[in-house]
Amino acid sequence: MQVRLTSQPFDPQREEAAFVAGRAQMGALVSFVGLCRDNNEGVAVRQLHIDHYAGFTEKEIARLAQDVAARFACPDILVVHRVGDIAPGEAIVLVAALSHHRANAFDAVRVLMDYLKTDAPLWKKETGAKGAQWIEPRAEDRARRAEAEGKSP
Amino acid sequence: MVKLVFLGKLRGLAREDAEVALPADVGTLAELKDWIARRDPDLGSAMAATQVQYVVNQCVVRDFSLPIAQNDEIAFLPPMSGG
Repeated sequence: MQVRLTSQPFDPQREEAAFVAGRAQMGALVSFVGLCRDNNEGVAVRQLHIDHYAGFTEKEIARLAQDVAARFACPDILVVHRVGDIAPGEAIVLVAALSHHRANAFDAVRVLMDYLKTDAPLWKKETGAKGAQWIEPRAEDRARRAEAEGKSP
Repeated sequence: MVKLVFLGKLRGLAREDAEVALPADVGTLAELKDWIARRDPDLGSAMAATQVQYVVNQCVVRDFSLPIAQNDEIAFLPPMSGG
């Protein structure tokens, strides 16, 4: 289990390459990269800021990742998450799961992303055409989180 | 002294002084919440208007009758939005 928060831009492909290095016994790597959009439902976004609670945020994300890894029999999961100021086009989050077979790796990544949206101690603030506003989970995020709870391999 | 940590939208509303000396009659989380609302009405209304999770010394706490100890770090977490 590898969880890292970073205030600097990161290269998802390099992170993935380092994650799979020397893991020839694994048959599947599934990854998801969340990107900073330049708009939110059509309204321009100039910058995203993500607040976190140092120490607690890492611990909670590791707990969520461990839970998902155990549920979907994934020997390893990688989470890299940006904090601080993020520009449109930059990667916000990378979630990658290694598994013996693809089905579990696909499910693990999807479910962990659903958890991160509502349960990771991170707080997004968008600054754009409408000024600055803090983002809260949408009803859709909560519904996906509830659905993820019931999902098993 | 206790350390108060306000996250997300609460951070911008809170005063800068994170380390505070609590009055003698503030001994539990429930009393702390009321004290913050009296001292800082804007922050108090923001906390009342949203679902706030309490984290004491990095552990989530749901029992507001929990006594506060010297040097505790108490964090106030509004709804999260990661990913």
